[in-house]
Amino acid sequence: MARTTSRDAQALFQSLRSAYTATPTSLKIIDLYVVFAVFTAIIQVVYMAIVGSFPFNSFLSGVLSCVGTAVLAVCLRIQVNKENKEFKDLAPERAFADFVLCNLVLHLVIMNFLG
Amino acid sequence: MGRNNFSILTILSITLLPILSLSFSTDSPTDRRLLVLLDDLSLKSSHSIFFNSLKSRGFDLDFKLADDPKLALQRYGQYLYDGLILFSPSIERFGGALDLAAVLDFVDSGHDLIIAADSSSSDLIKSLATECGVDFDEDPSALVIDHKSYAIAETEGEGDHTLIAADDFIESDVLLGKKKIEAPVLFKGIAHSLNAANTLVLKVLSASPLAYSANPSSKLSSPPSLTGSSISLVSVVQARNNARIMITGSLDMFSNRFFRSSVQKAGSPRKYDKSGNEQFVTELSKWVFHVRGHLKAVNLRHNKAGETDEPAMYRIKDDLDFSVEIYEWSGKSWEPYVANDVQVQLYMMSPYVLKTLSNDKKGLYHTSFKVPDVYGVFQFKVEYHRLGYTSLSLSKQIPVRPFRHNEYERFITAAFPYYGASFTMVVGAFLQQTARPESTGIEMSLFLREENC
Repeated sequence: MARTTSRDAQALFQSLRSAYTATPTSLKIIDLYVVFAVFTAIIQVVYMAIVGSFPFNSFLSGVLSCVGTAVLAVCLRIQVNKENKEFKDLAPERAFADFVLCNLVLHLVIMNFLG
Repeated sequence: MGRNNFSILTILSITLLPILSLSFSTDSPTDRRLLVLLDDLSLKSSHSIFFNSLKSRGFDLDFKLADDPKLALQRYGQYLYDGLILFSPSIERFGGALDLAAVLDFVDSGHDLIIAADSSSSDLIKSLATECGVDFDEDPSALVIDHKSYAIAETEGEGDHTLIAADDFIESDVLLGKKKIEAPVLFKGIAHSLNAANTLVLKVLSASPLAYSANPSSKLSSPPSLTGSSISLVSVVQARNNARIMITGSLDMFSNRFFRSSVQKAGSPRKYDKSGNEQFVTELSKWVFHVRGHLKAVNLRHNKAGETDEPAMYRIKDDLDFSVEIYEWSGKSWEPYVANDVQVQLYMMSPYVLKTLSNDKKGLYHTSFKVPDVYGVFQFKVEYHRLGYTSLSLSKQIPVRPFRHNEYERFITAAFPYYGASFTMVVGAFLQQTARPESTGIEMSLFLREENC
């Protein structure tokens, strides 16, 4: 039973990896960026737990900046993904322009709140 | 002509005014004019040592009979005397404008009082004492009796057990002088106890634990109401306005006979040529009439550290210096007061800072501290209450404001990781579109074209 499970999991990861290799590089870069953003957010939370929550506004803006950009990057990825038929009619230029504009608004707020 | 005379008189009085007012210098806290009320003018001679010692110390004594119909403590709203000595235990009703309320008003306005009661004490004197916080024995025939600490008299052989040789003094240099009173104090009179509800009254001379208050000529039928060291022979009160009151149950204590008498306490081999009365009464009268134990605090100053001007307001977390000068009246001049227990509070509902002041032995008390991280209307408070000394209560209001918006730190070191993270996100958002293996350019059109393919 146990062996079956581990083999199943192995097969799952295998298929996942082979499927992911087929992903276009640009999407992979977006994925990397999302992982990086989430990782940075986690680091900040750990840092806050150690140092204390004193410049709380800075902490909030730091973490929200990461989370916010991660969310926006995920949105971008959904929109520029060619497999996704939902945004078939949406030009990637348009998706990218949305991404840039949202990032601009987000970081305008973040910079004001940062300290 | 008459008009001319009048104008000359006016000019003269105007020019003399400063000189006249100098003679009423308020700088000295010592009393000058004392009114002595007597039952009988013979007291003037029988207690002359005490009165002469007061006169020689510069007091102006005004002797009056207690039922003098012209008696008055004040005229046109001004008090005529600084102190009142009531050597009139049996007076039922004062003459003139004086009554219980007038005496209490006199004390309430900061003047001093000595009350000497006696076995013949009237209700008036007893109720006056009650107002001052001590209760005399209600039994009119009761005297303080002590079968142990009585004085052996030379002439009377065994001695009189109502003639108390008391040596249970309060331990206070301020009240009784630096020189220890060696000889016991002779006391013959009535007992009183302190009112437990009054925190200002002090027992200066206490009866021995074996004393009691009863009628000496009759057998004790019931236990005496006042016994042991709860009996006070001499008590003092310092009111909140620093008016001082001395109350004793023995008028004889001040008499020449007791002053000069030799004293030997029963059971003690030591015989003193002179009783302790003179020293005790003299020292205590110095205290009562503010020759000793009078403090003043002046020049309360505070400023930010490194500045000299007193600010109208502090900011939270400011460093400040606080200083105050405290002087003690020595009877002739103001001398620096040296103590290591003067404290200042920074007070708003409760003390936020309580610091002991250090002094430079010249009367200047100083400390520095940081304003707490709390804003509001604070007070600097110096509350100094020590046995025998006049109490000092200073307070000075000072507002404390929070930081102004531009007084905060621009960048906080602890927040650098957060700043870094935010900027990394901005740069990352930019880089993820440009740093691609196929293209090195940053034109997004290029990237997008590739995407489309």
